[in-house]
Amino acid sequence: MRKLLLEKAHVEGIRSYEVYRREGGYRSVEKALKMAPSDITEEVKKSGLRGRGGAGFPTGLKWSFLAKPEGIPRHLVVNADESEPGTFKDRYLMEFIPHILIEGMVVSSYALGSNVSYIYIRGEYAWIVDILEEAIAEAKQNGFLGKNILGSGFDCEIYVHRGAGAYICGEETALLESLEGKRGNPRIKPPFPAVKGVWERPTVVNNVETIAAVVPIINDGGEEYAKIGVGKSTGTKLISACGNINKPGVFEIDMTISVEEFIYSDEYCGGIPNGKKLKACIPGGSSVPILPANLLLTTAKGEKRMMNYESLNDGGFATGSMMGSGGFIVLDEDQCVVRHTYTLARFYRHESCGQCSPCREGTGWMEKILLNIENGKGKKSDIDLLWDIQRRIEGNTICPLGDAAAWPVAAAIRHFRDEFEWHVQNPDECLKRNFGLAHYADAIHVPEIA
Amino acid sequence: MVSFTDEKLAEVQAIINRYPEGKQKSALLPVLHLAQQEFDGWLDVPVMDYVASLLKIEPIEVYEVASFYSMYNLKPVGKYMFEVCQTGPCMLNGSDDIIAYIKEKLNIAVGETTDDGMFTLKTVECLGACGYAPMMQMGKIYKEHLTKEKVDAIIAACRANAN
Repeated sequence: MRKLLLEKAHVEGIRSYEVYRREGGYRSVEKALKMAPSDITEEVKKSGLRGRGGAGFPTGLKWSFLAKPEGIPRHLVVNADESEPGTFKDRYLMEFIPHILIEGMVVSSYALGSNVSYIYIRGEYAWIVDILEEAIAEAKQNGFLGKNILGSGFDCEIYVHRGAGAYICGEETALLESLEGKRGNPRIKPPFPAVKGVWERPTVVNNVETIAAVVPIINDGGEEYAKIGVGKSTGTKLISACGNINKPGVFEIDMTISVEEFIYSDEYCGGIPNGKKLKACIPGGSSVPILPANLLLTTAKGEKRMMNYESLNDGGFATGSMMGSGGFIVLDEDQCVVRHTYTLARFYRHESCGQCSPCREGTGWMEKILLNIENGKGKKSDIDLLWDIQRRIEGNTICPLGDAAAWPVAAAIRHFRDEFEWHVQNPDECLKRNFGLAHYADAIHVPEIA
Repeated sequence: MVSFTDEKLAEVQAIINRYPEGKQKSALLPVLHLAQQEFDGWLDVPVMDYVASLLKIEPIEVYEVASFYSMYNLKPVGKYMFEVCQTGPCMLNGSDDIIAYIKEKLNIAVGETTDDGMFTLKTVECLGACGYAPMMQMGKIYKEHLTKEKVDAIIAACRANAN
């Protein structure tokens, strides 16, 4: 399959402008600046590109919502606050091929009419700030940033804004608060950022990978881009794979391969270490539902599950999951779902901004109850209590962090209830061994390529 | 009296210039990073007050931000800070053992600093290195694929570097 984003990522010296340009970089800027800004938005619409940060919202549509009041500046803000457990694809892109982000930003800024654009990057990615600032300086020296780019009359500056450790700042309105120098408390919507964003100016917030994808869309045309993939899952998607697999890393896929192939093929994850069996997987970052092996590889309808938005979501949350951010976390047969869920609950408690009581209090209760169950101190009624708490968080908070905290707990109980009950009924044994595989992988054969 | 050098003050001004006029508060997060780096790795109250004066905002606006974000230290830390990730994907790859090993090796609990002021151990939540787990952050860099041997080597290198 043809790679669109990572094709050149390992060409020697590709981090530098010189090599990136020699390999065909910045062609999309040359092309775009001869087009009308609205035509670029049209190409993005035609491409079917969906936001790569997690929500999967159509990018062209998002751009078309941007308000354009006379005399008020507009801004593009790139969300590089990659913090969803299991997700490290944007880091990879920025670290190895930073100019593709800068190139995509120049084109997107032109389309949106943003003369000053920002990259909001998570504070921990400190060394990537240096890489990006170097790339920005090089682009500027070569006339692809700054005043009157390529004589088009379009001015554009890009600045990197470093966060300081807060998952919540990946939520777009919290990100804008943080960019304004405040705590990352999400805003009540409406107004949406497209109308009142940073400094109350119309703002588009897009994920790193989304903006990088604008480069091949402009180079090849939206229609060509849309031919890759299947249905409404067009183009390519970066998947960061981790957990118990032989080849953890970042892979670019075209969304037509099956989950089974992705896990077991040597081209991707390379199977599970030490010949162990697959127990469960979170296919799209820690917030999306965990699935047991049998439901992961085959949908409830008995079809092969594929690595795309629709197929991963097949069966809704009852028997499906989500593409999310592409953070693919694999658990082998020796892993404990209760302990794993506990670490995620602890994560969300730590990251709750504290504005809404259901999330602030509920995440802490879930963490404590899960730790009790994990330590053999749980009661059977605790499992129902957990279920009850997550139901009361979901949908009752200003931002989706509440949902993100509730879903992993809900899915763990939905699919692994017997493992929770085993912990409660065997308080001593659960400290000495894990529950194991049970029947989670029953109907699944071990593929020949394993 | 807390004060940046002239060179750092110029850097502060360059940061402020990234944002529209009158929106200098936007520079707060980057300037706090700079302050923490310049003033012994943590943000004492006089340092935060100084940052407030530079950005022409109230001290409380700095305190509420400094206490919100996990990367700002509100008490002194060791020369080297080990921030070990413990979230799901790292846990699946043995981060619990790595944390236990560092605690034993340095003879400190999570959140503590060694008596010689050399090392601080912190646990953190997902740092976006899940494929290279277990891992920790040490200053500006990530130490990935941690093993006990690798931890030994890192500690030894830190000690050698400090002497």
